[in-house]
Amino acid sequence: MITIDDLTVSFGAVQALRSVSFVAETAKITAVLGANGAGKTTLLRTISGLKEPRSGTIRMDERNLVHRRTEDIARLGIGHVPEGRGVIGEFTVEENLRLGAMMAKVNLQQGLSEQYEQFPVLGERRRQHAAKLSGGERQMLAMARALIAKPSVLLLDEPSLGLAPLVTAQLMHTIQSLCDTSDLTVILVEQNASSALRIAHHAVVLHVGKVVANDAASVVAADENLRQYYLGLVE
Amino acid sequence: MRLDRTRRRAPIAMVVAVVATVLSLVSAATTREGVALSIAFDLAIACVTTLSLPDLKSSHPVVSRAALTLLALDVAIFITFFLNSSTNFNLATGAAMSIVLLGLSFLTGASGQISLGNGAFMGVGAFAMAIWSNHHATTPIFLTLLIAVACGALVGLLLGLPATRLRGPYLAGMTLAFAVAFTFILSSFNSWTGGDSGLQLPTEATAPRWLDGFFHAGTSPLTTTTLYITDFSIIVAGVAFFFMANLFASRTGRAMRLIRDNDVAAELVGISLPRTRVAAFIVSSAYAALGGALLTLINNSVSPQTYSFALSVTILSLIVIGGIGTISGAVIGGIIYAFSTNAISWITTQTGLNPQGNFASQLNGIIFGGLLILTMLFAPLGIAGALRHLWSRIRSRT
Amino acid sequence: MDPFLTSRIVTDVLGGLTNGVIYGMVALSLVLIWRSTGVLNFAQGAMPMFATYVGFALLSYHFGYWPCVVACIIAGLLIGGLTERLLVRRLYGKPEINPIVVMVGFLIVLEAVAAAIWSSFPRSLPSPFSSIDWQLAGKPIALSPFTVYEIATGLLVMTAVAVLFRFTKLGLQLRASAVAPEVSRLLGVRVGRLLTLGWMLSTVVGVITTVLVSSNFFTGLTPQVMDGIFAFGFIAAAIGGLESPVGAIIAGILLGIANQFVTDFVNQNAVIIIALALLIVSLMIRPSGVFTKRTERRV
Repeated sequence: MITIDDLTVSFGAVQALRSVSFVAETAKITAVLGANGAGKTTLLRTISGLKEPRSGTIRMDERNLVHRRTEDIARLGIGHVPEGRGVIGEFTVEENLRLGAMMAKVNLQQGLSEQYEQFPVLGERRRQHAAKLSGGERQMLAMARALIAKPSVLLLDEPSLGLAPLVTAQLMHTIQSLCDTSDLTVILVEQNASSALRIAHHAVVLHVGKVVANDAASVVAADENLRQYYLGLVE
Repeated sequence: MRLDRTRRRAPIAMVVAVVATVLSLVSAATTREGVALSIAFDLAIACVTTLSLPDLKSSHPVVSRAALTLLALDVAIFITFFLNSSTNFNLATGAAMSIVLLGLSFLTGASGQISLGNGAFMGVGAFAMAIWSNHHATTPIFLTLLIAVACGALVGLLLGLPATRLRGPYLAGMTLAFAVAFTFILSSFNSWTGGDSGLQLPTEATAPRWLDGFFHAGTSPLTTTTLYITDFSIIVAGVAFFFMANLFASRTGRAMRLIRDNDVAAELVGISLPRTRVAAFIVSSAYAALGGALLTLINNSVSPQTYSFALSVTILSLIVIGGIGTISGAVIGGIIYAFSTNAISWITTQTGLNPQGNFASQLNGIIFGGLLILTMLFAPLGIAGALRHLWSRIRSRT
Repeated sequence: MDPFLTSRIVTDVLGGLTNGVIYGMVALSLVLIWRSTGVLNFAQGAMPMFATYVGFALLSYHFGYWPCVVACIIAGLLIGGLTERLLVRRLYGKPEINPIVVMVGFLIVLEAVAAAIWSSFPRSLPSPFSSIDWQLAGKPIALSPFTVYEIATGLLVMTAVAVLFRFTKLGLQLRASAVAPEVSRLLGVRVGRLLTLGWMLSTVVGVITTVLVSSNFFTGLTPQVMDGIFAFGFIAAAIGGLESPVGAIIAGILLGIANQFVTDFVNQNAVIIIALALLIVSLMIRPSGVFTKRTERRV
């Protein structure tokens, strides 16, 4: 469970997040929605310690995450799949996965075979350089690399960006089944609101750094105002 | 308001000018210093008057830069009349060095790159000067200096063409290799460069006859040649600085600064990166060659040992401490160079070190190297930057 | 072919190999640091030089050659690590000339301090192997026990570095933090520590190189012992491509052999001039290095 309380983050004079508070429950998918520049990516980067907040707290269960180093936060069991995927193109698929498994106390071979089972395409291409993969395959690799460490929290930043609708649907399905079969807490940042709302349990809508809605996903999906003004969803 | 003040100032300036002229006529028959004083005074008045004309200043920045250069030269030359020979000699080498420093400052200020081989480029100029003078003794000094500058620019083109195309430390590394190679290059052309003993100039540089009286020494401990060489060096440095100030402010200069700050943006607005970078490097090499040629003239000889890698490193230290990327930093660095030997031997005697000992002989390196690191870490714009910062704080307080 | 010419060529290749391995090691240590921290370490010759002086200071306490070498390596680890922590760490993300200038300053200080403490006269180290060339059918063959020691150690170090980077967990993390520091941190890699480790590692490669160079009976240890070698090492690294460790090693070895041919067929002075010319030509033809694949520029 991730509890964010009164979080304010700024770049110089510009406030990227203003007093943001919400809770991401265990074994649930929490979608964070909003337009470009709403502060979604900043939120995830702050949780991971890549950005220092000005004020407020971020807690994982009862532990405060603020002022910890990124690598220590990762070692606490938070997997962050960054925007643009962040797979290392110079590395092979398997090297990327080995790197992901590095600090987790899991059996490497077992972890690898689990991920190859989950994402068969990665198993087929394990010796290839990650730069040679397609966009969807890279997203799979980035997810697998985060999952191999058996995280308790998964932060996903725009996983559907640049993917074909069919691939996106498949991806969302994967995320949903992950959540159903384990105690994983997922924070899913998406611009593609409709597909995120389809799988999310809870939704938070950000607008220029402020929370404008924080409710069950079905409620948010049904709110005509939100759909029109903040999510760009028109029937 | 501004105009009124200038109008009121003009008659005063005229009165002072008349007094100064009378003074100079009277003193012309007396002492050399008297003549210098009155001429310096006249010139200073003229420059200040020019500088205080607002119309001229706003419409022709070149004119005000010229007046400012003239004023600085005037004061500097006036001072040389009252210094002894060895101080004057130090000043002359400092002036030559400041030209080299200005070139390096420009390279960094304009392209964000750095050269570790400017000592070798100085050597190119120094040897070009000596070799040419030995084969064509009758060529006027100005022409020989220009030939040396051309040689420096040519070598700069050769080295700069491949290295400046690349981002990263290629130019620095390549110029370092050139600096290390330079002594070997010299000894490969022994028949031209005179081997280990170097070259002597065929004649000592002397003042043209119509100026001879002005520099004439009489009985003072200052020799005519030293004074002439010092003032000549200062004038050459002044001209070099004048050109550079205009280049900094020109379109090309602005393009170069844009490249330094953001090369992607520069390329987007249509500036050719490689061409501009090569141009900046050639200018810096040419300036180094000019400084080297002047140094040959001052020493009346050139020795290959001078142009070792250590010199390139000294040049880097001086400009970083003075303020890299600034014009005034080059002046400050030149002054530091002029008096560094004296200062370090002063430190040696003050601290009671054995002057023949290992430590005293390495003091130069320890101090300059240490200052280089500290400056870059804590005041990246050197003394010039620190002074500018201080000045803006004083101004904002009043 | 003329048998005399053949034997001359063989001699040159063997003789050049020794220097080539040395250049290759310097180039390798430069590439390691460049790739991981984006700093071209101009003190990459001076730092190991200093460590070597420190280690061999034990000689006066009647320690033998090998204990001294161990001491040199320990000193190298310390100097490399401290340099990264205290000096280089302040320079990440600064304009590219800042680290260059600081490392040049460090080079000057280290050489001056070494000369102040130990004087600039060459100090001869007790060489563990003879430098007298072996003879084959009454003719020397440009190989001595000492040169074999040099070449073997050099190849061993290169292999060790390759194995470390290719096949170990540590190597994977080192490579990851070099190419993608932020992603590595998100995966829990302690990038800060690894950068320090990278500097320590690269300094140790330098220390071994310096020990080899200065154990040579004909060179000895001086504060400037690595200046020229650094220049050749940089030329090799730039020809091979600063991004490619393998390219740097190959270019270093080839450069050493080329130098030997120039010494033999032209003269000693021409060596660095021709090396410089090679660098200019190779940068003109392949700006990113002869042995690297073309990659797009990172903005």
